[in-house]
Amino acid sequence: MRSRGRAPASLLDRYVALFALAVAAAVAGNPVSSALAGLAGRVEVAQVGPGVALVVLAYAGFVAAARAAGPVVVTAADAAWLVLSPLDRPGVLGRTGRVLLLVSVVVGAGLGLGLLAVLGAPDQLVWRLVAALVLGVSASAGGMALAVLGQASQSWHAWVTAGLVALLVVAVVAAGGQARGVLAAVAAAPLSAVTATASAAALASTLLIRRAWTALARIPSRTILAASTRAGHVATATVTLDPGALTWIAEDNHWRARNLRSRPWPSLSWPRSAGSPSPAWLRIARRPGRLAGPVALAWQDWVRAARRPGRLAALLATAALPAVLAGAGGAPAAVAASVLAGALAMAAGAASGARRDADNPSLARLAGVGHRQALAARALLPALLSGVWTATALTGLSLAGRLPAGPWWLFGPLAAPAIAAAALRMARRGPVDHSMPVIDTPGGAIPTGPLIWALIGVDLAVLGSLPAAVALVSQPHEIGGFLAAQAALGVAVLAGYVHRSRVA
Amino acid sequence: MCEPIIAVHDLSVELGGNPVLSGLTLSVGPSELVALVGPNGSGKSTLLRCLAGLQPATSGTVSVFGAPPTDDAAFWRRVALLGDEPAWYPGLTAGEHLELMRAVHGEPRMTVEAALELFALRERADAPPLNLSTGQRQRLSLAAALLRPSSLLLLDEPERGLDAGFRERLGTLLSEYTVGGGTVVMATHDPGLAGRARQVSPTDGRVAA
Repeated sequence: MRSRGRAPASLLDRYVALFALAVAAAVAGNPVSSALAGLAGRVEVAQVGPGVALVVLAYAGFVAAARAAGPVVVTAADAAWLVLSPLDRPGVLGRTGRVLLLVSVVVGAGLGLGLLAVLGAPDQLVWRLVAALVLGVSASAGGMALAVLGQASQSWHAWVTAGLVALLVVAVVAAGGQARGVLAAVAAAPLSAVTATASAAALASTLLIRRAWTALARIPSRTILAASTRAGHVATATVTLDPGALTWIAEDNHWRARNLRSRPWPSLSWPRSAGSPSPAWLRIARRPGRLAGPVALAWQDWVRAARRPGRLAALLATAALPAVLAGAGGAPAAVAASVLAGALAMAAGAASGARRDADNPSLARLAGVGHRQALAARALLPALLSGVWTATALTGLSLAGRLPAGPWWLFGPLAAPAIAAAALRMARRGPVDHSMPVIDTPGGAIPTGPLIWALIGVDLAVLGSLPAAVALVSQPHEIGGFLAAQAALGVAVLAGYVHRSRVA
Repeated sequence: MCEPIIAVHDLSVELGGNPVLSGLTLSVGPSELVALVGPNGSGKSTLLRCLAGLQPATSGTVSVFGAPPTDDAAFWRRVALLGDEPAWYPGLTAGEHLELMRAVHGEPRMTVEAALELFALRERADAPPLNLSTGQRQRLSLAAALLRPSSLLLLDEPERGLDAGFRERLGTLLSEYTVGGGTVVMATHDPGLAGRARQVSPTDGRVAA
């Protein structure tokens, strides 16, 4: 019995597949070969460390994502009918295994090319390219095999965690420049050493894949079912093309598994001075729905953030990435984009309350807080976090000598209101509008609905931090004017967004 | 004669071309407990949404506290609506959702401790709402609605998921709410709850019992 009742491929199927591959090779051949030719030669030694750090981080991200996904998952139907049956387990899971291998090969090829671009090819470009591809594919396939082994046994799971930590340490050391001598030696390594390394990696990877293949039979059903249920949710969200649903699945799963302890809300009332009447502003602030109410409502986001200190610390640690990217030879525009993306990601992660109220306003109605006051209060945490992140990232760029002298870090707090407004706009966006037209281009059809959905929020972030972005790209020596413009624009964008917002 | 809290005159609502409510007239005074009764699809929930300002009328007028209901903060500070299960805030426990309501409104009708006791949630105060059973989540929703100060309660099938014992207790709590000056309009299929209230059938708008 087969888990898939598919007919074997006919001669015509094989011809179509081969023809498609030939056409793809003919179309992509020229640009790929010219790009590969650009890899020949030595690279600047100072750029090797940050570049290697980025490649190592990408690899760690791939292994972490594989482990988070399962990685061994099956469809809901197979999970219901085949996993809990006496069928041969490798037979049931064989197709999943082949898909995982294919994914590893594609990702590994990308990693190998990235590694070659970072280390350069002083001689024998073709052979070094082959070695880099073998190394990349071996690493990704080996990493995937480790993730599968981790799903099968707890001890392997611990090894994968240790490996991820080790990769992070390697990335930090490489980015920090302490291993410059070692990396320079690696970049200039003779072809024989590179070949030996690639062969050893391929051998180790093959052994791990073999072991993982036999471990498929030992993966407990409950872990496959749990991963498949998770994948089922992801598939549903993908089929209905509502990526916002994914965030809630991850969020709800996280909190369901946590042991929490209720804490009282902080007192938001100011002490009354005996005898003398309170000033007008204090009386207004004390009135429900004016200040205390919205701040109390927004406090939920602060509680949530404080309950995930590890996530917060990891996100703050990513503030070093723009400096690493600049060190690896990234163009100023790419560095500016990474700063903007990081700031927006930081702020968007702290806007869950606004997102939930936009999805379902029942609790917001029960709270009875004006939506503008609530939005203004909910902008505080995203503004604080994105401000701190951006200031840290810009300080890192200054310390690394990637920016001219000046108080560049000030762009962080000054752009924070605009970034917070963008995060709130992103959090409050509705589902994807699939009735939008699909534009046919020579490169393929572009559905405008998901595209516009993805740009909601990003648009306001770009607009609101334009002075900072222009300064980062042009890198002027005098930034006073840019700072003043950013201060005015940041506040104006947040005020304008809150004022023009409508009830969700 | 007291000014009515709710005044509905000749209300008609069509959804997708189908008449859901037709020529309904209803007046609810202060401290009244009104139960909207009738079979599924008779327009009970639609009427509640009209009273909450969430469903525009096709014709007729709806007035709550002497003005058309509006979906804004001033309205929701006087009115508590409980319909389908709310989306709980991530990262908060059941008890903290009640804390949030207390902190937002400043002067609650009862303390969080009292609400947890009254709605039999003390043991589950530290659990995220999604880890509670259906009935416990409904009790939490009711606790949030009754903890906060309000003048009008709009409840859509508040008995959903509740055991028989707690339904009886809910009836008492709602009666106490009206004794304290509040007004309750609820859609219900529970004969016990409906028996405590003035019953209205939205299908013809007349007093059924």
